[in-house]
Amino acid sequence: MAQAAVHSFKTETLQREEAMPWLAPAAVLGGDNAPAWIAALRETGAASFAATGLPTPAWEGWQYTNLRPLTPEAFTFDAAGDVAAQDLPAPLLKDSHRIVLVNGRLRPDLGTPLPDGVKLTPLMEISEPEEELATVGSLAQSPLLALNCAYMRDGFVLDIAPHRDIARPIEILFMSAGNSPAVYPRVLYRFGENSGATLLERHAGEGMALTNLYAGIVLKAAARGRYYRFIDENGDAVHVSRTVARSHKSSDFQGFSSVSGVAAGRQEFGLELLDSGISSSIGGVYMLKGRQSHDFTILADHFEKDGTSVQHFKGVIDDQARAVFQGKIHVHRPAQKTDGYQSHHALLLSDQAEASAKPELEIYADDVKCSHGATAGMLDTDALFYLQSRGIPAAEAKALLVHSFLSETLEKITRDDVRALYAARIAAWLNAPVEEAAA
Amino acid sequence: MLKIENLHATVADREVLKGLTLDIKPGEVHAIMGPNGSGKSTLSYVLAGRDGYDITEGSINFMGQDIGEMEPEERAALGLFLAFQYPVEIPGVTTTTFLKTALNAVRKARGEKELDPASFLKLQKQKLTELGMDADMLKRGVNVGFSGGEKKRNEVLQLAMLQPKLAILDETDSGLDIDALKVVADGVNALRAPDRSFLIITHYQRLLDYIKPDVVHVLAKGKIQKTGGPELALELEQKGYADFYDEAA
Ligand SMILES: Nc1ncnc2c1ncn2[C@@H]1O[C@H](COP(=O)(O)OP(=O)(O)O)[C@@H](O)[C@H]1O
Ligand SMILES: [Mg+2]
Repeated sequence: MAQAAVHSFKTETLQREEAMPWLAPAAVLGGDNAPAWIAALRETGAASFAATGLPTPAWEGWQYTNLRPLTPEAFTFDAAGDVAAQDLPAPLLKDSHRIVLVNGRLRPDLGTPLPDGVKLTPLMEISEPEEELATVGSLAQSPLLALNCAYMRDGFVLDIAPHRDIARPIEILFMSAGNSPAVYPRVLYRFGENSGATLLERHAGEGMALTNLYAGIVLKAAARGRYYRFIDENGDAVHVSRTVARSHKSSDFQGFSSVSGVAAGRQEFGLELLDSGISSSIGGVYMLKGRQSHDFTILADHFEKDGTSVQHFKGVIDDQARAVFQGKIHVHRPAQKTDGYQSHHALLLSDQAEASAKPELEIYADDVKCSHGATAGMLDTDALFYLQSRGIPAAEAKALLVHSFLSETLEKITRDDVRALYAARIAAWLNAPVEEAAA
Repeated sequence: MLKIENLHATVADREVLKGLTLDIKPGEVHAIMGPNGSGKSTLSYVLAGRDGYDITEGSINFMGQDIGEMEPEERAALGLFLAFQYPVEIPGVTTTTFLKTALNAVRKARGEKELDPASFLKLQKQKLTELGMDADMLKRGVNVGFSGGEKKRNEVLQLAMLQPKLAILDETDSGLDIDALKVVADGVNALRAPDRSFLIITHYQRLLDYIKPDVVHVLAKGKIQKTGGPELALELEQKGYADFYDEAA
């Protein structure tokens, strides 16, 4: 039956030749006895992707990021990645719980037990999915999500029980290993009513890998969700992800992401403020050099009144690296008294570095406060000279200025230990010897 | 200590210094006075090694070394310090981080051990108190939101922390009321020592009532036009710089 799902898209009338090689490896999913809803999603996803292929720069929202140079042949779906416990990076924080996936597959043997009030359910064990799992929005406009659907298999739902405050952070470690794996994880983090938890989602691994993640986040009424992503891959990794935080009444979401090591990346975040009195924020830092490229694309969608959304991003770009920021605040008619804030600031360290920013406001309510600001500039030479004149060597002075520029984004992170994790990544990038990234 | 000979320097392709000669011995306090635009700040930047200020002729010898080609930080490590006419704001870097990084960088370059955090804090507190400064400023970004007077005091704080061999004060008196001026002068006087020299750049004689110079120079049209004792400063105060405009024209 799953076999049929894989093949059925080939009968669709609309198929693009260049899309097909991306879908061919999905055949290995055949016969895995996936629940019907998963088989159906795979089918829908594959058919949708077959009709579009990867987005081209002609697509809305894709002017600045071109994925077409990616070739499916460079990656192996279902690559064997044998990782032993001692190969795993040390936990991000002491006293945390851990969930481990290797090449997209859950590895309970590598994780730690989860505390009371936290439940992990593998997707393949869900026979009747709730709405949040089975609906994914318009696939035709999201080819990467369609592809993620086509490969849907071994994700999970993480439930934080209502009225529970989980004290220790939960690290979700996505490891890539082995021969250039292509990984399509799908996860749903669900914060029950009036619950609170801190999630540390970390992507790690050496060398070439393709991650195409779909992460859903649901905050039930009055929930407090902290979601901190660390893209710690290095070298030739490609990371694309779509993360949608659906917030319900009076809930509070804070998300943050840092990226430095990937060859190419695009992180899409959707903040959906579905009810009134919601606070939802997303921030991030990127540090790029060589020929790296990265794209943050954000949409804050205000549906009801008294909501606050924040988008706060900064990045530093060296060599011939390229960064993109696209941020939009969409305020629907009922969303009176909305507070929407967006900023993106890029620091260019070389003449050939490139930053593109596209801020957008779409406002249909009349009583709202929205602001956005975007800048791209070079290091302040006056400040640099001032520091040098006090005896601080040029390289150190530069690092000090970049560090202070970037770490301003961390100020709103409530946990000191998490802030320190991001600060350490900034420091590590600044101290790393300059190397030519692969073309 | 500092020996400048026939210095010619250009800024933005314009010759601003046109054959300046100056000799400062250890322990001496020299004052340079001159009309606006005469090249006083240019001289201070050329000495500190700022990009864009190019020496086209002549030489600068400091502590027995030709420093003309050195990076600003190398000059600082040798013991040169410039108190800026317009101190720079650095958002995001706290004053205390700035002071610690600078002090340790200079100590390292001189082959001394970095100061441990406790000793650093003690030194910082002591200097802060001496200069009548609010400890609150240490947590703020360097010079961010500081008043003109606070910025100048911050320059003197850095001077007191870094203990250079030669301190160049570029119009440190401008923007200070009389009380602040006294505090700044006291701070500078406390640092006077047989092996430490000062080059005080000022437009007005006022500061020199509080910091007594050994030698006073008049800079106009890119050259030292006249050199004398403290009485020269008083004379300038009365007669203004008109003579030198004429003389140099
Ligand atoms: N960065 C610069 N670019 C162009 N001209 C400059 C620059 N700095 C100084 N100058 C010029 O050099 C001359 C001397 O300036 P400055 O050294 O600041 O004088 P002072 O400090 O004595 O008032 C002035 O005519 C000024 O306009
Ligand atoms: Mg000046």
